Amino acid sequence: MSYPVLVRGLTKTFYDESRGEIRAVDGIDFECGEGEIFGLLGANGAGKTTTLRMLSTILTPTSGSAAILNHDVVRDPEGVRKHLGFYSAGTALYPRLTARETIEFFARINQYPSSRVPERVRYLVDRFGISKYADVRVEKLSTGMKQKVSLARTVAHDPPIIIFDEPTVGLDVLNALEAQQTIKELRDEGKTIIFSTHIMSEAERLCDRIAIIHGGRILDCDTLAGLREKTGKHYLEDIFVQYAGRPAE
Amino acid sequence: MNWGTLRLLYIHELKMLLRARRTVVMSIVVPALIMPIVLVGSKYSTDRRARALAETTYRYVVTGPEAGRVRGLIRDNVDGTLPQFLPEETSAADPARSLENGLIHFYIQTSRNPADAVPVVQIVFRGDRDVSRNGSERMSDLLRRARRNQADVLLAARGFPAGPNQVFPVEPESIASAAQVTGSDVGRFLTVILVMLMFTGGSIVAMDIIAGEKERGTLETLLTTAAGRAEIVTAKQLAITSVGIFIALIQALNFLIYIRFRLIELPAGFAIELPLVSILNLLLLFLPLAAAIAAVLLMLSAYAKTYKEAQLYFFPVYLLGLVPALAAVLPGIRSRSAIALVPIANVSVAVREILMGRPDQPMIFVTFGVMAVTGIWLMRTSARMLTREDIIAPGHFEAETLLGGPGLFRKRVLRWFALMWAVIFAVAANIPQLSTFRAQLLFNEVVVFAGASLLMIKVYRLNIREALSLRSVRPAVWLAALIAIPAGHVMSFAVFRLVNTVIPAPQQLLEQFSRDFIPKDMPAWELYFFLAVLPAICEEIGFRGVLLYGLRRKLKPVELALAVGLIFGMFHITLFRIVPTAFMGVILTAVAVMTGSIFPGILIHMGNNAFAVWAADSGLALQSLRWSDYGAAALIFALAMWIMWRTRASSSGCP
Repeated sequence: MSYPVLVRGLTKTFYDESRGEIRAVDGIDFECGEGEIFGLLGANGAGKTTTLRMLSTILTPTSGSAAILNHDVVRDPEGVRKHLGFYSAGTALYPRLTARETIEFFARINQYPSSRVPERVRYLVDRFGISKYADVRVEKLSTGMKQKVSLARTVAHDPPIIIFDEPTVGLDVLNALEAQQTIKELRDEGKTIIFSTHIMSEAERLCDRIAIIHGGRILDCDTLAGLREKTGKHYLEDIFVQYAGRPAE
Repeated sequence: MNWGTLRLLYIHELKMLLRARRTVVMSIVVPALIMPIVLVGSKYSTDRRARALAETTYRYVVTGPEAGRVRGLIRDNVDGTLPQFLPEETSAADPARSLENGLIHFYIQTSRNPADAVPVVQIVFRGDRDVSRNGSERMSDLLRRARRNQADVLLAARGFPAGPNQVFPVEPESIASAAQVTGSDVGRFLTVILVMLMFTGGSIVAMDIIAGEKERGTLETLLTTAAGRAEIVTAKQLAITSVGIFIALIQALNFLIYIRFRLIELPAGFAIELPLVSILNLLLLFLPLAAAIAAVLLMLSAYAKTYKEAQLYFFPVYLLGLVPALAAVLPGIRSRSAIALVPIANVSVAVREILMGRPDQPMIFVTFGVMAVTGIWLMRTSARMLTREDIIAPGHFEAETLLGGPGLFRKRVLRWFALMWAVIFAVAANIPQLSTFRAQLLFNEVVVFAGASLLMIKVYRLNIREALSLRSVRPAVWLAALIAIPAGHVMSFAVFRLVNTVIPAPQQLLEQFSRDFIPKDMPAWELYFFLAVLPAICEEIGFRGVLLYGLRRKLKPVELALAVGLIFGMFHITLFRIVPTAFMGVILTAVAVMTGSIFPGILIHMGNNAFAVWAADSGLALQSLRWSDYGAAALIFALAMWIMWRTRASSSGCP
């Protein structure tokens, strides 16, 4: 079976002068299906961001492989990025572009068909409700407005696979719920979504399958129901503690 | 390369710059407006000063036994000879006090030489007062003329057949055209000025273009798009090049306007001839020069993690960029030499030849090729930097920043040495009190090298024995070190001779350095202390101590020796000393790495410097050695290194 996202033995090792070799990600395997929200649940420093950065080709894996729609992250990074939307708290917007220009720039740079860009920009401006401030520079927008523009620029080129790395960090409750709603809608449109978080309630509410990642390794990966059954715990918080509390094998 | 993406990114970069209103105003508009204001102000004040000095009536007093005769000379020569000089004699009981109180501008003291009864005239003035200094200079000119006229009269009275000027008239005549002379003069500095303009102009956009993006988080956004690293780097490179060229053109246009409106006066005989071929040749050289400078700035921006860090690196990189641009200032250098392979220096030399009307066409193409290859290599390096985790995702190493200690020291050691370099340079250029032989050496060695090293040890809580490699070594190592001293010195001189064949240092410069290097009036013990003992201890603490410790885990032994040696060379700011000193630095680092101890290096360093002092003092001419002698020295040196290698310490870091 062909998966839109396929990860096998993915490893990332950093060398730090004072701490020596650090295996930030240690031989992980997973795959994501079409129209699925796949959750990476882990504490800070578990290896979530490093994994997602390798998938988005920002970082090069030390070993193992990962492919997005059969484009290998090492051999064909541009092919990967063309089919990928990447959103994280760290991916900021250009402050001196307007919201509309931002969406247009990211649509064009991700090689969305040139003739359809204006139509796509109009659609996204409407869809994310940013028409009132579409021509205002990003630097003048509030955090909530910026988050909407960020979501719009992530999907500007209509990518089939979208990565959300802790997308609700720093947002208030209403904006966080709005972001979650958008992610659900994108899944319903058939997008494959990889979603990383350390907030248990978010994972419970959104994810079709959850991988519990700790110390750079995936300790288990299943649906919420499957994890409940395996651990005998109801709440994801308790499930997570049960896995992460015991040392990785 | 996707050209559409490249175009999109390039326009995007320029748009970002133009929308940064403050940057544009402060970096382009304000300098363009301020420059003419400064020039007008400067011209106004200069003209006003000249007018004031010309209109001043200079009050003076003449004293002494020859006063009457001097008065007569002044009276006879003042009219017509110096038209803007209005002297007025006055009287004062105490001329010195009157001068002090500003009642007179200077006074003339006359006396008679008791041996031959020849009159002696002394003009006393206040050098700290413009009017006094100017008046004394004019009076001095007047009296010199008077003396010459007097001598002519005396010779004629004694039957000399012709005027003294007609005995053997000397008339120099240059066969170079005015355009060639101007081209030679302008060519010396044109590349330096352009390099300065391109560096400063390009830096406006370069500092922000990657380092600023990293800081804001937009770089990560950009790196996740379908644009390739090569397209991103090329677009940024093109943006920096465009801005650098634009700023250089604006400033050039400014200068032309200033010249047109006579805010800048051109020297007499100034004439530039630039046929179309010369203009095309200059473009052929300046375009890759601009691209290479842009690539350097881009690399700097890619390496720095923040905008502030990029600014910190800019100044030393800027100064380093200016050094090769000065190649055309050195006499006797031509394009048709190994200089054609030295980036920037080759442009500097070729530009001068073009402006002098003697372009060497094949070498211009070679220079273009070298500059293009340099630019491409720098760009590729910048692109590679965008794949380095520690540069684009520095968050993995934040613990050291919080905890401090040796981990943080290893990250910061190069910044410390960049700062030390800047301090030495700035102090030497700006504080005259520290420019004397003793003061400069004490400051550099004790305060900068030893002081900063000990400060680093304290700030980062380093183990002093480890940081300074304070270990004893086997007796054979001492023997090897003693053998290495003369052999190493002869070899470093051979390196100097080799370098001199590529970039010849002017003899005058070498002689002046030799004079300044070894002051004649200093006792021998002090000379050896200041030039051998002090540098050996303090510089080894700095370079083979803390610097080596800071870089040890980052680099392999050979890279380590090269890096520390090169940095050591860069601290010896005189251009012709950099390579031989870097060579010595590589040797000393290799010794420290092999022995795991700082002590043999101190002995070799001290011995090498003492040998140099002794050789200079005793007139030993190392330049008269044959290349076979240098070969013999190399063999002896290799033997010393082999002994050290055989007895190397297990913890030395060598395989």
